[in-house]
Amino acid sequence: MRYSNEPLFWSLFSAGGMLAALLLPVLIVLTGFVLPADEIAFSHLQDIFSNALIRLVLFALAFLVFMHWANRFRHTLVDMGLKSLHTPISVLSYVVAIAGTAWAALVLLG
Amino acid sequence: MAKPFHRPHSNTWWLRRGPYRVFMLREWSATIFAVYTVLLLVLVSKVLDGPEAYDDYLGVLKSPLMIAFHAVALAAALLHTVTWFQAVPKAMPLRIGEEKVPPVLLMGGAYATLLGASVVVVALFLLD
Amino acid sequence: MPDTITLELFRYHPDRDERPRFQAYEVPFREDWVVLDALNYLKDRVDGSLTYRWSCRMGVCGSCGMMVNGYPKLTCAAFLRDYLPGPIRVEPLSGFPVERDMVVVLDDFMQKLSSVKPWIIRETAAETMASGEYRQTPAQLAAFKQYSMCINCMLCYAACPVYQHEEQFVGPAVLALAQRYNLDSRDQGNSQRYPVVWADDGIWDCTFVGECSAVCPKHVDPAGAIQQAKIQSTVGFMRSLLPFGNR
Ligand code: SF4
Ligand code: FES
Repeated sequence: MRYSNEPLFWSLFSAGGMLAALLLPVLIVLTGFVLPADEIAFSHLQDIFSNALIRLVLFALAFLVFMHWANRFRHTLVDMGLKSLHTPISVLSYVVAIAGTAWAALVLLG
Repeated sequence: MAKPFHRPHSNTWWLRRGPYRVFMLREWSATIFAVYTVLLLVLVSKVLDGPEAYDDYLGVLKSPLMIAFHAVALAAALLHTVTWFQAVPKAMPLRIGEEKVPPVLLMGGAYATLLGASVVVVALFLLD
Repeated sequence: MPDTITLELFRYHPDRDERPRFQAYEVPFREDWVVLDALNYLKDRVDGSLTYRWSCRMGVCGSCGMMVNGYPKLTCAAFLRDYLPGPIRVEPLSGFPVERDMVVVLDDFMQKLSSVKPWIIRETAAETMASGEYRQTPAQLAAFKQYSMCINCMLCYAACPVYQHEEQFVGPAVLALAQRYNLDSRDQGNSQRYPVVWADDGIWDCTFVGECSAVCPKHVDPAGAIQQAKIQSTVGFMRSLLPFGNR
């Protein structure tokens, strides 16, 4: 049978949703509240973000969260009444998500 | 049969009921995550740029606006985590013979994973 | 306890009305009355032109679904006492064209229902009664039993915002029924249902709002069925990408 393309986008969406559910609460607490309270030394941060494995995980997180976002964003706008713009919204969402991923690669894998 | 009446569908349907409003918040949480991820990437690149760049950015992170954003982001993340884990037993129900594995058990597994992942990340950031 | 309660009824008679209107009626308040009892009272004593569907009065036939104060309900299971002090606004199920008063046009639902072939399909046409019954263990029955409880009341469609703006969407109950047969060990028709179920306007229109499962009087959980089908479809899709994956 001819498949819809949705499984591709949906599996990326789901992987991103799972990673976000597991990692974002703690990351937001750490970088949003603990860092500004001066609780983490710069040199330690430098060690963390220089680690190749951590960079790879962060890249995966960024890529999948952007894909998660693109899928929810396009569906939400359609749910909110922009059905006639379905295709341009989808294209735009994924272009933005891919651009974000490229930038993440530059920061983390460069 | 004469002209059935088509009632218009309003674009503000999601304001009408509590669960619809929660659904909309859940959907928009993804956009907040995308913004947070951008901030996280900025943080990484500032740290890699050296202590001066990082200090400047730390000043930004301390601003009330940033604290407020992270508070919103945390609320969104918790909503996402709770709703995501609620979906796990629905999307992947387990059966042993005739018996359904209780959904709370599957959700418990998800929360245990969350706890484990959080402990690892906290240890990474806070233990030298 | 009040003596009466007010019902605001959606009225539309295509031969008489240009557009729908609401009409208020007072009915006696009785502790054990449901909304359907009040409608029957009005039709018998006050206004015989009031039109609505009902049959079993016990949550089995699935024909008495209406919007009660904006929420899809079986009116034979919606007690007046839960809506005190009133008024109670009763409308036809949302998302469907209105034929007359509370009666909605069912054609779209019926056509979608038959599109997923909700019956047991066997590959071998030669089987006859003489070849005996299809056996099934209790565990095999348990795999789909929940989805077989559906009474086609369409409350889930009225609760589904996606169906309201995307009329092509196959919708919750029909997708849950497809799952019911796909999971049945006696059935061999999955591949005939996939083109409808796995299509863009099948499961992939669903954004998992989840209200279909919340309003379902039979705890069918169509939202869960759709999520499971998404996973199966994704597995099928990944397999189709492998060089030797498919079949
Ligand atoms: S799934 Fe539930 S709400 Fe939907 S038609 Fe069947 S019984 Fe009614
Ligand atoms: S009258 Fe049959 S379900 Fe309500």
